[in-house]
Amino acid sequence: MPSATGKAEEQQERSLHALLPFLQTQSQTSLTRLYQRPSSCLPIFRLLGAVERQLVMNLLWLESSIPTATMSSWVTKEGKTHFDDALDLLTRLHILTNNVTTKLGLSPAFKSSMRQAITGGGTSVSFGVPAESDDKRHAPSIDALDAYALERWETILHYMVSSGTGQMPVKPSQGVLFLLQRNGLMAMNQGQLQITSSGFQFLLHTPHAQLWELLLQYLQMVEERQMDLVEVLSFLFMLSTMELGREYSTENLSDTQRAMLEDLRDYGLIWQRKASSRRFSPTRLATTLTSSLPPLPTATNTGGAQEQGFIVLETNYRLYAYTDNPLQTAVLNLFVSVRSRFPNLVVGAITRESVRKALLNGITADQIISYLTTYAHPQMRKNKPLLPVTVQDQIRLWELERNRIKAQEGFLYTAFASQADYEYVLNYARQLDVVLWENTAKRCFFGSVEGHANIRGFIERRTGGGG
Amino acid sequence: MNSGSDSDSFDEGDLTARGRKAKGKSGSRANEKGKQKAKDQGYAWEATYTRSWDTVQEDEAGSLTGAVAELLARGRRRRLLAPAAAIRRTIIRHLVLLLDLSAAMSDRDMRPTRFDLSLEYAREFITEWFDQNPLGQIGIVGMRGGIGERVCEMSGNPQDVLKAISERHKLEPIGEPSLQNAIEMARSSMSHLPTHSSREMLVIFGSLTTVDPGNIYETLSSCVKDRIRISLVALAAETKICRELCDKTGGTFGVAMNEGHFKDLLFELIPPPAQQHTGAGAGGKMSADLMMMGFPQRLPDTAPAALCVCHAQMRAAGFLCPRCGARLCDAPTDCDVCGLMIVSSPHLARSYHHLFPVKPYSVVTTLDGVTSTTCHACARPLEDTPSANVSEGVSPFDRYRCQDCKSDFCTECDVFVHDVLHCCPGCET
Amino acid sequence: MDRSCHLSLIIDLSPSQWHLSAQPTNPHPLSFQTFLSLVLTFLNSHIAAKHENTLAVFGALPGKSTMLYSSLDADSSNTNDPPADANSYRPFKFVNTIVTKNIQKELDLLEGLTEEPPVTLVGALTMALCYINRLAHPPPGSVATETTTEADARILILSVSPDLSASYIPVMNSIFSAQKLRVTIDVCKVYGEETVFLQQAAHLTGGSYIYLERRDAFLQYLTMSFLPPPSIRHMMAVPRQDKVDFRAACFCHKNIVDIGFVCSVCLSIFCSPVPVCSTCRTKFPMKTLQRLNASRPSIPPANGVSNGSPRPPSARPSQGMSASLR
Repeated sequence: MPSATGKAEEQQERSLHALLPFLQTQSQTSLTRLYQRPSSCLPIFRLLGAVERQLVMNLLWLESSIPTATMSSWVTKEGKTHFDDALDLLTRLHILTNNVTTKLGLSPAFKSSMRQAITGGGTSVSFGVPAESDDKRHAPSIDALDAYALERWETILHYMVSSGTGQMPVKPSQGVLFLLQRNGLMAMNQGQLQITSSGFQFLLHTPHAQLWELLLQYLQMVEERQMDLVEVLSFLFMLSTMELGREYSTENLSDTQRAMLEDLRDYGLIWQRKASSRRFSPTRLATTLTSSLPPLPTATNTGGAQEQGFIVLETNYRLYAYTDNPLQTAVLNLFVSVRSRFPNLVVGAITRESVRKALLNGITADQIISYLTTYAHPQMRKNKPLLPVTVQDQIRLWELERNRIKAQEGFLYTAFASQADYEYVLNYARQLDVVLWENTAKRCFFGSVEGHANIRGFIERRTGGGG
Repeated sequence: MNSGSDSDSFDEGDLTARGRKAKGKSGSRANEKGKQKAKDQGYAWEATYTRSWDTVQEDEAGSLTGAVAELLARGRRRRLLAPAAAIRRTIIRHLVLLLDLSAAMSDRDMRPTRFDLSLEYAREFITEWFDQNPLGQIGIVGMRGGIGERVCEMSGNPQDVLKAISERHKLEPIGEPSLQNAIEMARSSMSHLPTHSSREMLVIFGSLTTVDPGNIYETLSSCVKDRIRISLVALAAETKICRELCDKTGGTFGVAMNEGHFKDLLFELIPPPAQQHTGAGAGGKMSADLMMMGFPQRLPDTAPAALCVCHAQMRAAGFLCPRCGARLCDAPTDCDVCGLMIVSSPHLARSYHHLFPVKPYSVVTTLDGVTSTTCHACARPLEDTPSANVSEGVSPFDRYRCQDCKSDFCTECDVFVHDVLHCCPGCET
Repeated sequence: MDRSCHLSLIIDLSPSQWHLSAQPTNPHPLSFQTFLSLVLTFLNSHIAAKHENTLAVFGALPGKSTMLYSSLDADSSNTNDPPADANSYRPFKFVNTIVTKNIQKELDLLEGLTEEPPVTLVGALTMALCYINRLAHPPPGSVATETTTEADARILILSVSPDLSASYIPVMNSIFSAQKLRVTIDVCKVYGEETVFLQQAAHLTGGSYIYLERRDAFLQYLTMSFLPPPSIRHMMAVPRQDKVDFRAACFCHKNIVDIGFVCSVCLSIFCSPVPVCSTCRTKFPMKTLQRLNASRPSIPPANGVSNGSPRPPSARPSQGMSASLR
């Protein structure tokens, strides 16, 4: 699904959360239904950019809508484009009522829910019903939840990364495999699931981006599975407002949401003692869905010592990775030729071959560089620039190397009767700017596909006219 | 975690640099003495290379916290040594920075070069100096090619001064320095200053020689007569004349052992000096004086634009000289029209902490009768079990107590209150 | 991605000033209860904006300053949790409960007092600065604070009490510390006359100073002016005061002076040349006095004398007074 990833990158540039475009495609009625719940409004609000958030807050406590001109006078010249973009986005999300050109006001459903979220109270029961405390069994500790989420998530990634190598890691559940396949991250190849090139790219994304990529696919499948999208979305949002290390009751969930429990358990978003349990605990994966900064537990080493960075890259292309995590090792293996492994250290080098291998898998140079940047060791962060320039440039050059041959479809024109004939046609083709290659000595030239009809007509006219 | 090869190569480079330097001046080996604090270690290139981080030792558990605490404690002790009684400080300061721009500055024993490092530290020094001495002025004189070169006129605006040394290529080190020429030039630029302000020179000197047109001791005695205080930071080694310049004028002399020490030496000169009580001067001490100052009003951005007298540009915002009504861009400054000293009240206030410092906190060594469990300022929970093997001047509980309000503070806040905030959070409430 | 930010809120809890503020004779009476509920809403909005946003609340009480809430220490004290409730987002509820409880506790402690000492905002201000300094320097060994070190920090002061002239030097010292820590100080004057100290605080740290005119629209003021983090302030026309009075008052008559005479030793300001500094007892040379007397402007600091209401020592002129001067 290269188009989707392309879109995702573009969105990151505009720092727009991946979910927002999806929400924009939804109908006004379903969005309005979604906005009925305070627990949905708050996470959506958090996904917005800083200017959008401020705009919403400015309008939140106003009883009536105000003229747009009044609000735009509050924005300085530099902020004008930002402000207009924000208005546009909020309108498409139906958070603002439709007639933004003249008056600004929040849509009634969003306004009342958001107010309720901030002031508390009401009877929406949308922030999750906590389970009664159970004396016999204590709620799982936060560490246990983290370990669980980590194990689930890494199972998925590890399965993907080692699918081509013949190793047989633990298989994730059938639902997860189906999702991966639908997402184009893995594909059936000779009766076996094989990771695709977009799958390789996926592996280099941050855990947060990976999670949302999967969830978006999940949302897209919701309709096929005859589930109610609004129910699904509001359940996800509710999870994101829950507190880590607390148990919630399944009593108030709708049937759709109960059905989701199983899927989310597979992804590691929630924890249940057993499938039939009437209580569940969200894991860190779920509670950080709408926050951007704190890393997911997946990013930490099982030792828990490192925050996020573990890679040291030197100007001599040597790479030291302080990790004992098989998944990280496996991901590194995609573009590093590993020399030696120690209990907590992997030593390798970035070589032409190793990078070429990665490029052949569809990974781009930029992705390698961004992965190295994201996971750079804290010691590396003192360097400016963070990665050695030589290595960065060389990785880019290796990528360019592969692009030395460019294929272009076209036609070869040959066997001209005379030099004059040849030059006459060639001149015409040059005027059309369709000549890709020419050789006067051999009296032939190569023209692109677009020009073929014209050239052919020209030759026919000429031979017809002449003969 | 750093690969061994990297640091090895650094050391080699350094050794060769030092070796070369020593060869060039083998005749003046005695001068190396100052550089080599530990005399018995022999020559610089024979001594093992020591850096500040080498002196920090890990404890048995491999942790650095003990060593860091030791560093903090050293800072505390220094603060306790400082006289507690209010001393007279010179608030209005005038300083000429004399930068050595001779060929000796391209030596690489400090990285990247002595010259680059000096420029970098000079910039930091100037910023910090103006921060703490908002009523002061700085001028810069360079020494190269045997003459003194005026790099920047005496100015109270940090931006002007920083701009003067921002262009590295204009200051490229060359030739021999002349201390006498440069000092005479600096002295002439300070001769008109009123007696209540300080006259100071700070020399950053990388060379071991100076080429002077006359007798430098005459310059020295005229500096003493003019009550100019000369401080010198040598990058190479101690020389007699440098030491004498500082000793006779009441300044400080130091030889930088490494980059960090160099910076320390410079930054020690930032706080306003205690006023000299040199009875030797002919006129007795006339250091106190009454100064006339103007307190301007800041004009809003919406004020009608007018030409400013400092840049001759149309400006809306700015300050009005209360005496002649001239439009000024920035304060503090001297009005270009009537010469009145223009300051705003915050500028005066910036110096008050030198005059009313916070008393040092005492070290809490026992928890008897202690009720608070958190730091009074930042609410950080405080230890209630003593940590073992603390050095002198460090509390085993990380607790420091203000003698006036009897509130307890953590180490972090103790440092912050005395170094930055300059008022005790407990006493203010 | 936009960065998280830290907000330190300082609430002025002077009972007498709040009593005055609630008087129905005011154009827009504002009682403390209403005020508190609006402030809590504002705090919730701050936490709502970003999951990682942190918060600390300080109270300035008569003769005392105290920390009412801190998101850093709140997580660990799970003992007196408010009961979980499906209708509200827990962090919001948590803040509301703790802040209300602590304010009530502090106000109850005040009951016994017969005489109310003046509120010292500066105590709370210095505490807030120490707290922000603590965020910027997490103790070695803690890992969870990685995000907070990067955060933009700002301080918002909700003031109802007048300036306390004795705290001039500490206030100025706090302002300079805030500049060093790159902390923005915002000030909202909810009730009472303008305070020049706080005006200078806002001006020197790049924050905004707002005198609350429409007190019925308090929440809207808070939201529009003080909610945006400093990083996006350049895009919004957040009101700033344009005229700041940087003139000084002399130590001898408390007159506001345009041109003053300053002791070179202790920087005391006098409105006319004096032979001996009254602060540090330094004698000034006779020659200087003669010279200064000769060069003195023909109209001696008449500005101050004509307006000359008695002023507290070293207080800076109030806005109202300087306006009448122009």
